[in-house]
Amino acid sequence: MANSATARALPPISPLKTRLRKSFFPTPLSGAISLAGMAFAAWALWHLFQWAAWNAVFIGTAEDCRAASGACWAVIADRWRLMFFGLYPHEEHWRSALGCLILILVIILSCLPVFWRPLRLAVLWVCSLAVFILLMRGGVFGLSYVGEERWGGLTLSIFIFCATALIGMPLSIALALLRRSSLPLVSVVTGMVIDSVRSLPLVTILFAVAVVLPILAPGSSGTKIMRVIAGMALFFAAYQSEILRSGIQSLPVGQDEAAKSLGLGYWHRMTRIILPQAFRRALPPTVSQFAISFKEVSLVIIIGVFDFLASGNAAYGSGEWAFTYVEVYVFMAFVNFIFIFSLSRYGAYLERRMRVGK
Amino acid sequence: MTKFSKLIAAGSVVAAGLSASVAIAGHGDTLAAVKERGTFNCTGHNGSYLGLAEVDANGNWKGFDIDVCRAVATAIFGTHEGHVSFVPTSWAQRWPALQSGEIDAVIKATGWTIGRDGELGFQFSNAYLLAPTKVLVRKELGATTVADLDGGSVCVPAGTAQEVAMAGYLERIGTTMEFVVSEKTEESEAAYLSGRCDAFVQWDVQLATLRLKAENPDDHMILSDSIAAEPVAAVVRQGDDNWVDIINFTLSTLVAAEEAGVTSANVDEMRANPPSPSVGMMLGVTPGYGSGVGLSDDFGYNIIKTLGNYSEIWERNLGMDSPYKLERGVNALWQNGGVLWPLLIH
Repeated sequence: MANSATARALPPISPLKTRLRKSFFPTPLSGAISLAGMAFAAWALWHLFQWAAWNAVFIGTAEDCRAASGACWAVIADRWRLMFFGLYPHEEHWRSALGCLILILVIILSCLPVFWRPLRLAVLWVCSLAVFILLMRGGVFGLSYVGEERWGGLTLSIFIFCATALIGMPLSIALALLRRSSLPLVSVVTGMVIDSVRSLPLVTILFAVAVVLPILAPGSSGTKIMRVIAGMALFFAAYQSEILRSGIQSLPVGQDEAAKSLGLGYWHRMTRIILPQAFRRALPPTVSQFAISFKEVSLVIIIGVFDFLASGNAAYGSGEWAFTYVEVYVFMAFVNFIFIFSLSRYGAYLERRMRVGK
Repeated sequence: MTKFSKLIAAGSVVAAGLSASVAIAGHGDTLAAVKERGTFNCTGHNGSYLGLAEVDANGNWKGFDIDVCRAVATAIFGTHEGHVSFVPTSWAQRWPALQSGEIDAVIKATGWTIGRDGELGFQFSNAYLLAPTKVLVRKELGATTVADLDGGSVCVPAGTAQEVAMAGYLERIGTTMEFVVSEKTEESEAAYLSGRCDAFVQWDVQLATLRLKAENPDDHMILSDSIAAEPVAAVVRQGDDNWVDIINFTLSTLVAAEEAGVTSANVDEMRANPPSPSVGMMLGVTPGYGSGVGLSDDFGYNIIKTLGNYSEIWERNLGMDSPYKLERGVNALWQNGGVLWPLLIH
């Protein structure tokens, strides 16, 4: 009853006009600052609108664009296939498009609670990645062979991200548990591995796996993209394992002790008691770790992997479209934004669902 | 010597031995490996490098360096279709990728320097381009030579060869200009395009491409002065003389064909009635053109038939048939006042 009494004591919600006046014009000085700020925002928005929409060229040639004062979205209309599929052979683009759709679909599926069983997730991902590689590489079922040096664009970026997460996630769980091992040797060695990987920049790791490894061990180390994925997965796992470990260590010791006293073995305690709770607690940093990894994929351009960024660079890199780099970068930023913003919204949904922080 | 420094010394000897064993390819090994693999692995770019290695809307490579790669593949296999693979390679990755055998040659706007040839231990082919450093200005200034720019300003990236060359050149001709330096080439380009300085100094291919990034390309012109020049050549692993010969013969064939007036259009006619014994030999009518280096005798014919001579490749990628409209300048034949010469054919 105390609650309802407090609610009654709260002032009634004031009308919109009063609220606006209170928040924007409480004093003459604040009012002036508000007005100036609004004027600036309106001015900036108006110019942005003029550039991006009103004076923009959406479909046309490079000449049309040079004649117009606004943005040249025609470059996207003309070269979007290059940005999405990179160097993949033109007549086989449907394979790259289908591969990309499969990966996005699988990402969405694995976000659904119904797939949250380790076995289901593993089967889903391993099967879809196998289908993806088969589809992209070809050489069977009448599909022509396409070498990895011709893979590229958004499809390749998403593939690298998915494969990194798929290998990195189990690896991070293993590293986190090993680091918490009661055998000092195991925990110290794991700790050193994690800390060494974390103290190297990702670019160094990429350079080492893509460039130095084939010099030291010629012909024995798989294709470049596979090595890159392995390097990125290791880097991801080193960071993610520390996130998980912080989740594990934030649990009261009593949880583990209670499970022990019930006679549960190590695996049952970890998979049924500790890890589910640790995951829940580590959810916010895990989501940002995924977002960071998605953005870090664009670093692979440095070792000559033709990812989304390199493909965008190639898209405006022709004599005809050389002046449209701003539009191409804005478009790439927009595509990245869609992915990462969806990811963070999904993270927020998970937090509500799991009542993290309650 | 402490234990630790001994360990480091031993380690570096082992590492040097390992890398040396990879770096030195035996005589003829590269050609044999390329033939066995069925593809010549050449350098692509991680993105587009305008005029030299670009990607068209269908995802196919084109450009001057790309055509040189194709010429080498054609010399080996008779056609480049399906026999050349462009491995996307960043600038930093060129050397280790060549050393590890991931690519068979670097043909990617690479200057021939003492350091790269000597200390890095690579082998360079003959230069196929002489890249002159030139000056881009706005036409409205009314300047025709650098001397006319006296008292003006010039945008250069800090600490580059261009900055040093420009300073030396200005001193030589007794002109003073203010230097507007930026950290990176892109910043310098943007500074020039936004009008913060009167002139921009770069290799002429890049000036021609920068002009296209301007709002109105026709407002800009390249001055006739050559500030400096950089020989651009193909790079291969040290120790495979035969492979260097193959690339040199390929490059020479392009120039020799231009000199003799052999084009992709008239090459069949020329082969049927060779105007001179050397053209006959180059097109494989008489034997001996390619057999000495392990190629077929008609490799010259194959190259000209599929890709054309040097002039055709130039005009298609950089010259009048391209958006860049770059003059041949110093990259003309020696008869026309340029620096290009073919090997003698007999």
